[in-house]
Amino acid sequence: MLNKISNHEVDRRLVLKGAAAGGLGIAGATMLAGCAGSTGPISFGARTVDESPTIQLKGLVDAYVAKTGNEVTYNATESNAFQNNLSQYLQGTPDDCFQWMAGYRMQFFAAQGLLVDISDVWDEIGDQYNESYKIASTGLDGKQYFVPQSWYPWGLHFRKSMMAEIGMNPEDIYNWDDFMSALGELKAQGLIGLASADKGGWEAMGTFDILNARINGYQFHVDLLGGREKWTDDRVKEVFRHWEMLLPYMNTNVLDLEWDGAMQLLLQRQSGFFFNGSWFGGNFLEQSQEDYDDLWIVPFPEINPDHARDTIDAPIDGFCVAKNGANNDGGKDLIKFAGDMEGVQAMLDTGIPMTSANNGQDRSSYDAFQTQQLAVMNEAKYITQFLDRDTRPDFAGPVVGPALQSWFKDPSSTDEILESLQSQWDALPPL
Amino acid sequence: MTTETAALREKVSPRRRRFFSRQDKITLGFFIGIPTFLHLALVWLPAIGTILLSFTYWTGIRVEDIKFAGVANYENIFFNTPIFWDALRVNVVWILWFFFIATPLGVLLAYQIDREIRGHKFYQSAYFLPVVLSLAVTGIIWNFLLRPDGFVNGLLGLPISEAVSFFGDDRYNIWVIMIMASWRHIGYIMLLYLAGLKAIDASLREAATIDGATEWQTFRKVVFPAMRPVNIIVIVITIIESLRAFDMVYIIYGGRGGLPILGVLVFENIAGEGASMKGAAYAVILFVLSIVPIITYLQQQFREDVS
Repeated sequence: MLNKISNHEVDRRLVLKGAAAGGLGIAGATMLAGCAGSTGPISFGARTVDESPTIQLKGLVDAYVAKTGNEVTYNATESNAFQNNLSQYLQGTPDDCFQWMAGYRMQFFAAQGLLVDISDVWDEIGDQYNESYKIASTGLDGKQYFVPQSWYPWGLHFRKSMMAEIGMNPEDIYNWDDFMSALGELKAQGLIGLASADKGGWEAMGTFDILNARINGYQFHVDLLGGREKWTDDRVKEVFRHWEMLLPYMNTNVLDLEWDGAMQLLLQRQSGFFFNGSWFGGNFLEQSQEDYDDLWIVPFPEINPDHARDTIDAPIDGFCVAKNGANNDGGKDLIKFAGDMEGVQAMLDTGIPMTSANNGQDRSSYDAFQTQQLAVMNEAKYITQFLDRDTRPDFAGPVVGPALQSWFKDPSSTDEILESLQSQWDALPPL
Repeated sequence: MTTETAALREKVSPRRRRFFSRQDKITLGFFIGIPTFLHLALVWLPAIGTILLSFTYWTGIRVEDIKFAGVANYENIFFNTPIFWDALRVNVVWILWFFFIATPLGVLLAYQIDREIRGHKFYQSAYFLPVVLSLAVTGIIWNFLLRPDGFVNGLLGLPISEAVSFFGDDRYNIWVIMIMASWRHIGYIMLLYLAGLKAIDASLREAATIDGATEWQTFRKVVFPAMRPVNIIVIVITIIESLRAFDMVYIIYGGRGGLPILGVLVFENIAGEGASMKGAAYAVILFVLSIVPIITYLQQQFREDVS
């Protein structure tokens, strides 16, 4: 938390500097481009203050400014704060376009009339994307409200050099038994098997997703999150029974670490595996190229042969245009640029690793880790977003979050926790 | 003594003529009217709005979507939400801790400093220092010290995986938070009490000493009763501070679980994507919990004053 706050301050300074520099750039660009700019000033809302993504987004905005001569203000907010504030933000005076997530989270705000229909943008750039991305960008009314930026898979991450030292080949871990024996071996070496965190209340949702998908399959998982199956079902209990088997191989201070704390365990070679979204590759690269090159990912092992390894959490991040923004056309213009290969290229040119949703990104230019992410992704038949993107927001955050935390405090209380989850689902207001 | 003066006042008051010119009336009207209006508009209207909304289903976005829910939100909280009871337990521990440990310590310190023990100026500044920091800043400082990769664990030479889990371990995280909160609260109470003690007539104490009262007797029988107005403030502040606790816990745990308290539950359920009027219901519960003991206490105190 402190990290984030201090980052925030540093970043604000960065932003100011950037704004100053950008201001000069804009002045220059406008002079050069004459009256090329078709719209007034545009403001862009970033939901990150971290170093790497900021460089990436600044690269995008700078390229847009250079191309069109439009004036763009870059506003950054720490991601949790941005999320917590989104309703108020969108109803107030939001930025014209902003960074957001696909799936339920976007559909919810689109249904409330707070996002601008950008179907016409999709008419122009749609051929650069696979159908699945278009579906993820579509609201409940069948119109598009979202332009995808990038995706990342959730999988088992490890350091190649560490595994080589131990003499373990994680690529050979195919099923649960392989995984358990690998964890046992790591423990015997005095290492943490699986670095885990849940202080933020969302980190462990990824583990729940994958266990449920592996044990009970994609359809059950989706139905459970949609309220069509019950949390008290024995199949859900089975998920927690498997999770409990992992506990002895996890760090004991799960509730004291946020995701980045668990990442540190992998970075510092204290743990063998870290189950997380691959986005943290950027953090490894911030450390050093060597650390980044050492990072690898494999799919979570098979548990139930019926479902093999057919499902993966691969959330899509991207951009939306806010209805209450001052300049809807400008916002649309900017995210059209972001979705077009030209904007994607500008982000890639910053050197920050990104697996773009755009088909135009030359996959042969992927580095080894990105190629592996794609391989992990391609093994899956079904793609889910993430628990807090696939179910009702008033259930995921305030209900499932604390429930998983209390499960970590007392894993023997699974039954009670699941009963309570079901009764809290039943008590939700009708949509 | 009090009855005599009251009687006297009653005799005098009917005879006193009150005359306000037109201009006086307008001025007074403005002076009373504007703050009253602001108070109603900024405090009572939102408060009543929250109470009304707590009986509805609403995501907080479109007014036309508000649906009447009866007591469903309350039912949900009381019967379906175990975290509410966890939070309530933490808030109760918080109140008890403040009442029986932090506040008495503050009073004790104030008394010691008022007796001008050696180095009292230093102690006074040292204990007062945390009070100038907001609770959020207090949270940041302590978080820096106690988190897994923080100062204390670094000093102990513990890697993250073996770090003492000050905030994560359920057995003692509440006491860690209590100590953090007291760090500031003690200084606050000390300051309030010290101001009161300074205002006590020295002759009272002298008289007690001459009568042969011990230090404890002097405090209990002379100083403490003379401090009644300050005592009332201290008690009310202690209740308010324990129930409105939010910032420090939010800084350390974010909006989620960890160490649930009512203030954070209000926020968690009313802000962000998960907004629902369950948050409003939490706010009303918190409001009732704070206001009822305070009103009861003050009423009783003032009734004693009148009699």
